[in-house]
This record gives sequence, structure tokens and C-alpha cells, in this order.
Amino acid sequence: MNSENLPSTPLATDPAAQVFGAKPVMTFGDEGQRRKFLRAAAVVGFGSTLVALSQRDKLALADASANDLEILNYALTLEYLEADFYTRGLKGGALKGRALELVTPIREHEQSHVATLTDTVKSLGGKPAAKPKFTYPDGTFDDKDTFLKTASTFEELGVTAYHGQVARIEDGDILAAAASIAGVESRHAAVIADLIDGNPFPSSFEKNKSMKAVLKAAGTFIKS
Amino acid sequence: MINRRDLIKGTAAVIPAAVGLQMLGTKWAFAAEDFSGPVDVLNYALTLEYLEAEFYRQGNQADLLSGKAADYLAAIQKDEEAHVVALKDTISGLGATPVAAPEVDFGPAFKSKASYLETAYTFENLGVSAYLGAAPSLLKEKGLLTAAASIFGVEARHAAILGVLGKKEAEGGVYKGAFEKPATRATVLKAASPFIVKAQTL
Repeated sequence: MNSENLPSTPLATDPAAQVFGAKPVMTFGDEGQRRKFLRAAAVVGFGSTLVALSQRDKLALADASANDLEILNYALTLEYLEADFYTRGLKGGALKGRALELVTPIREHEQSHVATLTDTVKSLGGKPAAKPKFTYPDGTFDDKDTFLKTASTFEELGVTAYHGQVARIEDGDILAAAASIAGVESRHAAVIADLIDGNPFPSSFEKNKSMKAVLKAAGTFIKS
Repeated sequence: MINRRDLIKGTAAVIPAAVGLQMLGTKWAFAAEDFSGPVDVLNYALTLEYLEAEFYRQGNQADLLSGKAADYLAAIQKDEEAHVVALKDTISGLGATPVAAPEVDFGPAFKSKASYLETAYTFENLGVSAYLGAAPSLLKEKGLLTAAASIFGVEARHAAILGVLGKKEAEGGVYKGAFEKPATRATVLKAASPFIVKAQTL
């Protein structure tokens, strides 16, 4: 259990982050926006915050939202990358049989994470990060091995990214949502490792990485 | 007598989306009621990890598996033992007393390779939901939260691989949708109780 997760640089001032087109985050402007969030949260299943929000200090909530929106946009950028990666990879047709069966839902999960994170950022009154343009080394999707080895890198990176933010998230509902996504990324990482005869259980404890370290690693795949 | 079917039935009650949503909707309420504080959460997790570690110790000793499955379940046993040690150390480090290991009885779980893998699969998915359900109770304890989350992710890996070994369908078997679902303490207790003869806490 390392503690590489702290501290991390705010997106707004991190040059690496600006590559991702990160936008400054907003806080709730009025009660209407908060209500909108509550409705959307109920739809996506993040829960319910009506009681929680009404019991909390409004100023503290605004602060928490600025911080948490930044984290949500960071997660969104990574999910964009994963969704794009699997969409291209599956289109490439390198997989068949059980591998195809196991990877197809992963793309659906990543797309679902993109949609949910986008909605959540909007509902909180923030501006969702724009989808970057991605680029992958030549031949990434030509054969099963290259595709899945790259997938493994992404999934393990995604896991460390979420775990790096656990301690930074201030809102309980956003934490629950992020954790519920992180667990799914762990499943993906394990399944992909198994498919390439790697190690699905590289550690008894998930590792974590700071936002800066993750963005640096992911930056290789960002065109603009 | 408990059998695997009871366990699976009990766990099935954990997972339905509607229940998950409802639980998320009342998360703050039940989180406050479920646990009296961080140590209580950690002892709850420790009891589950004791249960899992002992389960794999007995199961692996039964020598039902070979090849990749044997390797994977040996690795999972080591992970669970590492979780037990880490949780005990953490609780002691907080100046509290770790609960004792529960007395367990896994019934017919080790009668065959299939029943071993199926019960393991059920345990792991239950563990994932248990950690997620308890997470909000650690919200203010950032260090503990990170530690608990790091265990939770590994339980999710175990659950997925046991789904693969059991040749489960991808969605609904290996994966449980795009979002993990939380379970309340009561639900977890109900699902685990068939295996627990006596426990200090759960």
C-alpha cells in the first residue's frame, strides 16, 4: 500500500493535463442545478444525495464539488481513451471465440462509464472534458497479442488511476460511483491478463498512481 | 445443513439492480447504522477475509485443482492471507483489538472441483459488494479508505477470474455490469452465515 496518490497537481495548472483539453470546473450555481443533479444521480444509480446534501454545509459542498469535478473529468478522459481503444480494436477483428466474448462487454462498460461520467459532470454544473483525439502505434490492432497487451497496459493504468484518487474524493456519492467503476476496471485487468497468459493478480493490494503520472503515461496516446 | 444452493440463493438477493439502486438511495442511512466506526468496518472486513483465507486453505488442501486453476487459487489464498495480516495490523495500529477468526464450516463445498470453484466465485462477488457497501463508512478516514479500496479491487480480480475458470458467461458471470453493486452488512451476513459456526462480529 504505497501512498503515491498524494499530492496531485490540479488539472487547471498541470501542463500535462491541458493536453487533455481539461476545462475549469464549476460549482453548483443554484439550487436548480443541484436538483438536476439529484434527478440524474437517481437515474444513473449513484444515489441519492438529497438527504446527504441537505444535511451538509453548502460552502463545503461547493468546495468538494470543484475538487471532485476535476477528478470526474480526469476519469472521463481515461474512459474516453479506453472506449475508443476497444472500439477500434474490436473493429479490427483480431479476436474470436472466448477472447471476443470476454472483451466485447469491456467496450460496453467503458462506453457506459463515459456516458455516466459525462452526465454526472453536467449534472453537477461542470463542463465535461472534451473527447481527445487518440493515436496508437502502428499495428496495435492487427493481431490478438498486440491488441490485448496494449489493453492490459490500459486496464492496469486505469486501476492505478482510480485508486490514486480514492483519498482525494470528498463526496460520498461520487466516491461510491468511482469505486463501483474501479472494481469493474480491476475485473477487466484480470481477465485481459489471463487472456495473454499474464498475471491476473500482480499484487495483493491494488497499486495507485498520481494524476500526473497517469496523464504522462496516457499522453503517449493522445494526438490532440 | 447449508449447501451451496442456499448460499447462492442468499447471494442472488444481494445483486439485483433494483435492490442495488435502492440501497444506493439509502446509502447514508444504512452506512451510519451498519457500522459504529472505522474499527467496526475493519473488523467486519477482517472477519470476511478470515473466512476467505480459511476457505482457500481448506479448498487448496483438498487437492481438487490442477494446472492454471491450481496456480490461480493458490495465488488467491495468498492474497486473502495478506489481507488478513494487513487488516489485523491496521486495527492494532489504531489501538483497537482485531476480532478473532470465526469458526467456520464449509459443508460440501470441497466435494468437487466444480463446487469449490462455484463457492469461491460466490464468496468473491459477495466480498466485492461487501467492501463497496462499507466504503462510505470510511469516507472521512482517507488512509483507511485507500487501503480498503486496494483490497476491494483485488477481490474484484478474484471474482472475475473465478468466473473465467467456471466458464461463466461474460456479462453477468465474469462481469457484473459496468458498475459494481454494494451490499449491506445484513445482506452480507445472511449470505455468509451458512458457513459461520461462530463469529465475534460480522
